[in-house]
Amino acid sequence: MFIDKVLSNKEGSASRNFLLSALWWSLFAIGAGMLAGLEFSMPDLVHNIPQLSMPHLRMWHVNGVAIGWLSMGYVGTMFYMVPALTKSKLWSERLGNFTMWAWNALMVGAFCTLINGNTEGREYAELGAVLDVMAVVALILIALNIYMTVVHRQTKKLYVSLWYFLGSLFWFPLVYIIGQRTFVALPGLNDAIIGWFYGHNILGMWFTTVGVGMMYYLLPRLTNNPLYSHGLSMLGFWGIALFYAPTGTHHILQSPVPEWLKAIAVISSIFLLVPVLTVLTNFFMTMKGKWGLAVTNMPLRFVVTSCFFYLLTCVQGPFQATRWINWYLHFTQWVVGHAHLALLGTFSFILTGAFYYGIPRLTGRQWYSQGLIRAHYWLKFLGFLLMMTSLTIAGLIQAAGWNFGVPVDQWSLQIRPYWALRAISGVMIVLGQILLAYNTFKTLYTPAILEMKAAPQEVKA
Amino acid sequence: MKGYRLGAIGIVITFFTIITTTVLLPMILFNPKPTGHGNNYIETVQANPARGRQIFVREGCFYCHTQFTRLQDRGYGPLVRAGDYVYETPHQLGTARTGPDLTNEGGKFPSQWQKAHLINPRALKPGSIMPSFSYLSDHDMNDLVAYVQTLGNERKVTHYVEAPEEYKASLARKTVDTSSDASGNAGRGLYTQNCAACHGQSGRGNGPNSVSLEKKPANLTRPFYKQYPDDFWFYRITEGVPGTRMPRFGEVLTEEQRWYLVAYVKTLQQKNEQTVDNLSELDKIEQVKLPVLTEQEWEPASGGD
Ligand code: HEC
Ligand code: HEC
Repeated sequence: MFIDKVLSNKEGSASRNFLLSALWWSLFAIGAGMLAGLEFSMPDLVHNIPQLSMPHLRMWHVNGVAIGWLSMGYVGTMFYMVPALTKSKLWSERLGNFTMWAWNALMVGAFCTLINGNTEGREYAELGAVLDVMAVVALILIALNIYMTVVHRQTKKLYVSLWYFLGSLFWFPLVYIIGQRTFVALPGLNDAIIGWFYGHNILGMWFTTVGVGMMYYLLPRLTNNPLYSHGLSMLGFWGIALFYAPTGTHHILQSPVPEWLKAIAVISSIFLLVPVLTVLTNFFMTMKGKWGLAVTNMPLRFVVTSCFFYLLTCVQGPFQATRWINWYLHFTQWVVGHAHLALLGTFSFILTGAFYYGIPRLTGRQWYSQGLIRAHYWLKFLGFLLMMTSLTIAGLIQAAGWNFGVPVDQWSLQIRPYWALRAISGVMIVLGQILLAYNTFKTLYTPAILEMKAAPQEVKA
Repeated sequence: MKGYRLGAIGIVITFFTIITTTVLLPMILFNPKPTGHGNNYIETVQANPARGRQIFVREGCFYCHTQFTRLQDRGYGPLVRAGDYVYETPHQLGTARTGPDLTNEGGKFPSQWQKAHLINPRALKPGSIMPSFSYLSDHDMNDLVAYVQTLGNERKVTHYVEAPEEYKASLARKTVDTSSDASGNAGRGLYTQNCAACHGQSGRGNGPNSVSLEKKPANLTRPFYKQYPDDFWFYRITEGVPGTRMPRFGEVLTEEQRWYLVAYVKTLQQKNEQTVDNLSELDKIEQVKLPVLTEQEWEPASGGD
């Protein structure tokens, strides 16, 4: 039947379709980032094509990665993790598939508008009004689906991952509605305050909280170790819920916004170290005795790498949120490096781990090639390290330039080698993602000779 | 579900407490009044700066350019205040400075320069990585330039650049009358000996050595330089320009000689920028000539001439 094809009722189909869509959009979004990076080294590479000018590519890159790759991937992962953790089925696969189509339509709209510069002009909240409404409706439907799955669960206790997922699905739609400022026009600085409330909390109350939930799920499963401490995990959850949301103003510390708001932002940024360190202690203690597995088990290797980058992000974040460090580093590429450390190093890695873990379990097919997975890992890992180093060095040069009053024209000549390295790193990362796409394609669409039923792993909640 | 009721209530309360303190409260408490220094986009000139602002947003200039000056920024005009932003929606504060801050950009360069720079940044600034916006229509371009020219206008910028504090003291020690013709003439010889090889005899930045420099010497004849105060000239000549071949003449010339140079350099500026009719006629080395705007000209309100 047509309806079964379009809105499949098959178990796991919503999850699978969400993950595949995420992969599809990631190619465009990361590709745009790569091209924008190349244009920093070769500003006249593409000439006279408005769609490919650097600012338009950048709008699409950020939204494509955040709303497309990461968000769709996150929903796809939650759609298989939540049923597994509750020992039940997803409440409605049909609804899940419907939201999948809706979200894809949203992405098509985002692509067509942003690439032409049809933006609301608010960083991270560029999408136009119609698309904002679509995103909110889709998010609410996804939340409904997952909440109902949890209500109908077969287990008694809620594992910590579920806390994170349910929390995120409660507050993220609200953060989105507040942060997009779709139908309000606030005066400049108030607009900026809310803008950065959103800019920071799409990370703090969505990417971080769902991502950490995924780590809590994957680590015990992949290592077959029980979670080190339930108490610590609860401390971490409440810490993040309390300290993440008020930090947004640390993005505009040197602008003329109220000092008390800056103080709240800086203090809670520093307090964030507490939940982060508890969460990571929990992870690393869970890994105890099983570190060797990361050599052979590829999903685990992605997850462990992600944990280490998470540590780095969250030490760097509070560091640069303090007033005097911010005074020196703000406005430079250092911050761009930090953003990539969080979204690429941490959350893209955990999503890729979940992807490699999930697809065989959702489709019953083993990965076409382990070698390609390894190649993907190294391209992504080394590519990212190169990007991080080059952006950080470029940032330090810029920071010195601003602080010693060296004119822009002069320091901008000195950072050209680092733009070039960054461009190379972009090519490596895109190449890795293409390998993932190829591997997925081969896995799903080669005939059954390679097919083996993966034994579903025992749930250990 | 019972066992989790407390947890759920806790999450809801936490979340809304945070929203109240960091989102609602600032909206209620923080209502800056217009200072009269920000743009209000009401006054229209020939080209339309309000529309230009929309193009600024559409073209995403704020991904590379910020619009707020900070205490530690040298050479970007006065510090901004909260009331300057009342009419700025959506805000264009920006996050990264790949290019210079644009808070007080208005009037810093003539409109022709701005337009040529948008069409081909590298013709005017060799080595620049600013994208070319040549695909903009003439109408869009003129409005965008008009917008750029209004930036900071209301702030009545009198000079953009200041010498570091320590140079203020050197003003007090000054023995040369830097405004007199006699001192200017006394500086001419020093200029020919020390500067002409790079800056050219007439100061247009086209001396013979300039051919080999990637970062071209400054064109000192530009009307823009009229706003340089004495101590800034003195500072530049003494310390050179970091990152370029402009030498630190403090090492070889006495303080008195440097003041004579200031007196001479101040006589070089011309009344108007020179223009040509076509971008292709731009001489990349001289950086003197600018294309004229085709539809309408929107003259800067400060700086320039
Ligand atoms: C890729 C980042 C980038 C983007 C996007 C960008 N610029 Fe620039 N811009 C630069 C750099 C780098 C410089 C410094 C070198 C130069 O002057 O060309 C600069 C310089 C400028 C200057 C001269 C400032 C001064 O005081 O010297 C102006 C004016 C300007 N840009 C306006 C714009 C406008 C208007 C837009 C949007 C249509 C824009 N820029 C988009 C990078 C960018
Ligand atoms: C080796 C070549 C060289 C020589 C010799 C030289 N300059 Fe320069 N000068 C430069 C370069 C390159 C710049 C940087 C231009 C820029 O920043 O855009 C510069 C910049 C300047 C500036 C700063 C302009 C600005 O935009 O703030 C001043 C003033 C100046 N030179 C004056 C002099 C004087 C006076 C002398 C002689 C005592 C001199 N220069 C000798 C190459 C030279």
